[in-house]
Amino acid sequence: MSKSNMFKLSAIGAAAALALSAGPVAAEEVTNVGTPVTEKAIADWDISVYFDGENLPEGSGTLMQGEEIYLAQCAMCHGEFGEGAKGYPKMLGAPKEEFIEAAKSGEDTVGIRGINNFWGHAPTLYDYIRRAMPFFAPASLSDDQSYAVTGYVLYLAEVIGWTDEPIDAEFIKNVEMPMEEQYYTDPRPDVDNDRCMKNCYAGKEIEVKGKAVIGDVSVGEVEKAKRD
Amino acid sequence: MSDKFNDTQSPRVTAAEEKVASEGRRKFLRKGAALTGGAVLAGSAGAQAKDKITDPIEPPRVKQLGRGVVSVPYGKPSKYESHVLRRNVEWLTADTIASISFTPFQDLEGIITPNGLHFERYHSGAVDIDPKDHRMAVHGMVEKPMVFTVEDLKRMPQTSKIHFMECPANGAMEWRGVQMDSMQFTHGMLSCSEWTGVKLTTLMEYLGVSPDATWFYAEGMDGSALQRSIPLPGAKDQFGKPVPDADEIYKDIIVAYAQNGEALRPEQGYPLRLVVPGTEANLSIKYLRRIKFTDKPLVTYQETRHYTDAMPDGRIRQFTLINEANSVVTYPCPDKRLKEKGFHEIRGIAWSGRGKVKRVDVSVDGGRNWHEAELQEPVLSKCLTRFRLPWEWNGEEALVMSRVQDETGYVQPTLQQLKAKRGTNSIYHKNAIQVWKVEKNGEVKNVQVKYV
Repeated sequence: MSKSNMFKLSAIGAAAALALSAGPVAAEEVTNVGTPVTEKAIADWDISVYFDGENLPEGSGTLMQGEEIYLAQCAMCHGEFGEGAKGYPKMLGAPKEEFIEAAKSGEDTVGIRGINNFWGHAPTLYDYIRRAMPFFAPASLSDDQSYAVTGYVLYLAEVIGWTDEPIDAEFIKNVEMPMEEQYYTDPRPDVDNDRCMKNCYAGKEIEVKGKAVIGDVSVGEVEKAKRD
Repeated sequence: MSDKFNDTQSPRVTAAEEKVASEGRRKFLRKGAALTGGAVLAGSAGAQAKDKITDPIEPPRVKQLGRGVVSVPYGKPSKYESHVLRRNVEWLTADTIASISFTPFQDLEGIITPNGLHFERYHSGAVDIDPKDHRMAVHGMVEKPMVFTVEDLKRMPQTSKIHFMECPANGAMEWRGVQMDSMQFTHGMLSCSEWTGVKLTTLMEYLGVSPDATWFYAEGMDGSALQRSIPLPGAKDQFGKPVPDADEIYKDIIVAYAQNGEALRPEQGYPLRLVVPGTEANLSIKYLRRIKFTDKPLVTYQETRHYTDAMPDGRIRQFTLINEANSVVTYPCPDKRLKEKGFHEIRGIAWSGRGKVKRVDVSVDGGRNWHEAELQEPVLSKCLTRFRLPWEWNGEEALVMSRVQDETGYVQPTLQQLKAKRGTNSIYHKNAIQVWKVEKNGEVKNVQVKYV
């Protein structure tokens, strides 16, 4: 291992110093722990797809195939038309403009989220469906089936129109997600509270605005319900 | 209403102490005041004298033999502590498999969360993995891709650190108004443990991570195969913008196999999990099977659909990784009412994902006046810190709250301040000051208060 190629770490020095102080048999570096592998040996492990579509597999499916799988394995939770069910997420949320308008007016937007207004990149939708869906049988869809279902979900979410084209890596990479440009990385800290210690409201009245109203979630009530 | 919450129920601090405190010697003197506690405000409160017992009392004594050794080979809490449990809120999630439970902080002391009470968060349920068969691969932009057994990792140089683990949805039910009349449910997506394992930087050096690697991602082997991208120095997002805290987060990361002295619990990712101190717990991938060093993020499901924060301008924040400074009073709280007037110690916990807790202030008058609490050593980075303030409760209504400042100078915000910036749809990272209202009968209610 060439030292110059290694990640620069301040911790290296400290670790080495500790090892040296351990006694006359001190080791200077870790050797012979673990088993070397080639990337080829673990290729089947590497199912992660990047936002830009890197590592999307070969294969394809059609919306027709996707519809069949979706109705059999997905619709009971996500709704026949992607409207969600039983507390599971919608595929089709409010249209982007409506979603943004609701956000600006302060309305609750949690219940109107869907693939069309809360997902930045189509390739990671493929990744998620292939690795974790359907919920009760994760990783049971083949690569081709995953393409079919991803395409159908994008169709239900009104991100794409109906097409008879094969849904494959090229297709998924070229899907434009409505909200992609709405994402931005953490700007925090975004608030700046004072450490006021005395007379912080300058004589203004304190007002209790709300008390917890959902009594049945208090621990006492939970325990009482169990006893009854 | 206003007068009720004047600072009539002063914590046990004297005028003289307050004066000196302002000269910067407060902490030293507070210890003195606590020790000589009787001298402060003694007898001034409304605590009635109790009837003196004059009839002989049976001495505490067990007149029979107890259980023998190893009658309980793995010890359990006393049967009288059977109420100290993780709990869930059924309506929060569609099922219990992709769900969360809450740690009962109202019943805990110190900073270590017992392993059986560590909150649970599953995306596809807890699984049992035989460590004999388990392998973890580390690959990507490294000189030597490798697979490790758990035994292999136990041979590597070891570290143990105490860090909090907090779901960023802790408190999420309270953005729009008060919901949960329970400290367990307002703040229980939180735990703190001693984590033992291998520092990520040790593995990075051993495998020869390329200096061009600016991210890595970690992946679990449970049904959800949960994966998260974690920034390294130089990390840029998918738009080419720098990711904050990338120079700091990775330094403390542990590939952990033990928790509070014993192997990880299945609920916590046995046999291996990532621990990413100070950050939203979703990054601390359980059932860890793979780490890949890369030069870009995945922007996976957990980084676009969840664990992203909807803002009032219609935009969505991503990679909001750090859990900023937070604190809460654990006694009194809705789950632990006051039973009688007189002396009580206001107790609570404070923590920050950006380092150590510097100080905690407590108010009993709704935030009009504050008093610096005493911190319990050790005060560790990215770790729960206990605080306490002696208090004489006179039986009147009180609004009890705490406010932490961390070593960066950041002061825990009010909910009003957070809402002014973020609206009420962001779900995650609500680290606002929590107000408890003590009623005259000693009941404690979760309330929200104007200005707070």
